Amino acid sequence: MLHSKKVRSGVTNIGCPLLFGAALVASWQTGLLHKILKTDEYILPYPMRIIDIMKENSDKIMLNVNASVKVALIGLLLGSVLGYLIAIIATVFPKYGSGGLTIVSAFNAIPIVALAPVFINWTKDVSDIAEERSMAAKILVVTVTSMAAMSVNAYRGLTELPPFSEDLMKTYAAGRLTEFFKLRFPNSVPYIFTALRVSVPGSVIGALVSEYFAEYIIGVGRQIRENILIAQYATAWAYIVTACIIGIVMYAILMLAESIILKACLHRT
Amino acid sequence: MKNLRKTMAFIAAMTMLTGAFASCGSSENSSEAGKSTVSESSSSSGQTAEMSDSDRIVAAAQAGKVGNWGLGNEYEILALLTKYGQKTEYLSQAFDMDGFDDDSITLASAMTYNELGLVKNDYEGGYGYGDTVGIIDMNNEGVAMLEDNLFCTKEFAEKNPNTVKAFISASMKGWEYACENPEEAAQIVFEAGSSVSSDHQAYMASEVKKLVETDTKGNTVNEYGKMDEEAMQQTLDLAKEYISLDDSTAASKLQTLTLDDIRDTSYWEDASADDFGDPEKTSVSVQLKWLPQCQFMGYYVAKAKGYYDEVGLDVDIVSGGGDIGETTAVNNSTVDFGVTWVSNLISADAGGMDLLEIAQVYQRSGLVLVYKK
Repeated sequence: MLHSKKVRSGVTNIGCPLLFGAALVASWQTGLLHKILKTDEYILPYPMRIIDIMKENSDKIMLNVNASVKVALIGLLLGSVLGYLIAIIATVFPKYGSGGLTIVSAFNAIPIVALAPVFINWTKDVSDIAEERSMAAKILVVTVTSMAAMSVNAYRGLTELPPFSEDLMKTYAAGRLTEFFKLRFPNSVPYIFTALRVSVPGSVIGALVSEYFAEYIIGVGRQIRENILIAQYATAWAYIVTACIIGIVMYAILMLAESIILKACLHRT
Repeated sequence: MKNLRKTMAFIAAMTMLTGAFASCGSSENSSEAGKSTVSESSSSSGQTAEMSDSDRIVAAAQAGKVGNWGLGNEYEILALLTKYGQKTEYLSQAFDMDGFDDDSITLASAMTYNELGLVKNDYEGGYGYGDTVGIIDMNNEGVAMLEDNLFCTKEFAEKNPNTVKAFISASMKGWEYACENPEEAAQIVFEAGSSVSSDHQAYMASEVKKLVETDTKGNTVNEYGKMDEEAMQQTLDLAKEYISLDDSTAASKLQTLTLDDIRDTSYWEDASADDFGDPEKTSVSVQLKWLPQCQFMGYYVAKAKGYYDEVGLDVDIVSGGGDIGETTAVNNSTVDFGVTWVSNLISADAGGMDLLEIAQVYQRSGLVLVYKK
């Protein structure tokens, strides 16, 4: 019974999107999609053409992918660690914590397009080498955007504890550190993943958009903009597809990590 | 008591914020020392002797401090860097001149009619450098590529030859009047929805006049919108060399393009001779490359002075700006005519569009590299 249910949900979870995707690509390649969207093969080139360009330029694309992924990952790491630290501070000082978190999460509401040029001006003194200071600016943008999601979610994970668990800790005469490592931290792990589900795709977007404004010209996002402006739509699409793949792969890795780590956590308790 | 708590909350929040930015603050401080030594050495070398233009270009290129906007505006700079044996790398310049102002770019791209005016003048939005800045002119360096033109699709031109000729005729009349009366033209553009101050608009009108009435060699041009064969060929040759396209189909098509693929002089010739009939399509639109400003004064003047009405056209001027793609807008028939740089038209045609230049308004390159003396 349980087995058949699993199979059925597997079919609907994976089969349906797969079928939809295949139908989309088929209608795209046959030109049906162009008729539906009332566009031409110039603005929306055929998938095979896009794949050909990706194959021809694999070296150049990988160079740009490296730059973008580096920014996204470093920014994500810094932002998540900072966000978690902020959540800890907010937990230690609960009276002022929620107010502080509101301000941090307000950063999330600032559009990246507004943030990126400001940070590029801020980081002009970081290095005399344009590549380095542009990197710093881009990482900073991703850091700020992923910090907000982590701090808000981690704060919930650190404070919304199972009923009486805190009292239990007190009866054990546990210190604050013990309470943190035995109770609060394990309780916050699922919330960390909730935050990452938001900030992983966010970090990719943050990296791509901040490349638009960076002084040093590199990255998948910059290539999309360059090619659209000189009317090279097929090449632009090759980079758009690349950007999608980056996002999907990073999200898939996160999902995998989540299932493994959460399972390990469940086994322990 | 309540107030105290609020203040405490505020202080705590601020501490967190500064904590969040600690990483950026510390890195800024640590590199401050390194930066100051670099700028000292560069300023002392600048004072010791008057540098030649080629020294300037080589020095800026070696330091990685040549700036351009990229996005299809960079080809003349690439040609210039190649001419002086430098790597074709440049910094991405923002649409303001702050990078030039704070010395992160020592050779900054500027259009004579726009950014150069902002750098030199001290009116609203200007940086007020006056005569303390010098320029390197693309025309003098022999790497000039022609800029603002008029174009439409080949299909549109074949279907509506009289509309095309009438539009060219009235537009060039507008350009002629604007160049004769730049101050009035500036006022007309300012009233038509200007994006910049009226002082800057007046400066722009006087500079654009020079680009429209002087060719790449400095000779005066009397025929507005004329396509100078030699300058067009130089533009195409440089385009073939410096436009790099990842799409191999487009890249090989680019190399096969000839002047006849990208321009047709017959419409302009007939328009200049007033040899055209009633327009087939009377309501037309023109897509500008940028925001409303005197860069496009001819069209605004033609509209305001009723030149378009005289030839039986109702013209809608569509302003651009930001990431608007004028070639795309014309290609997918959102608008009928467009103003773009010749190099952008060439790369669009290489990519598979069927665009045709019908008049060349700017006779010389308006791009310069500006430096602090």
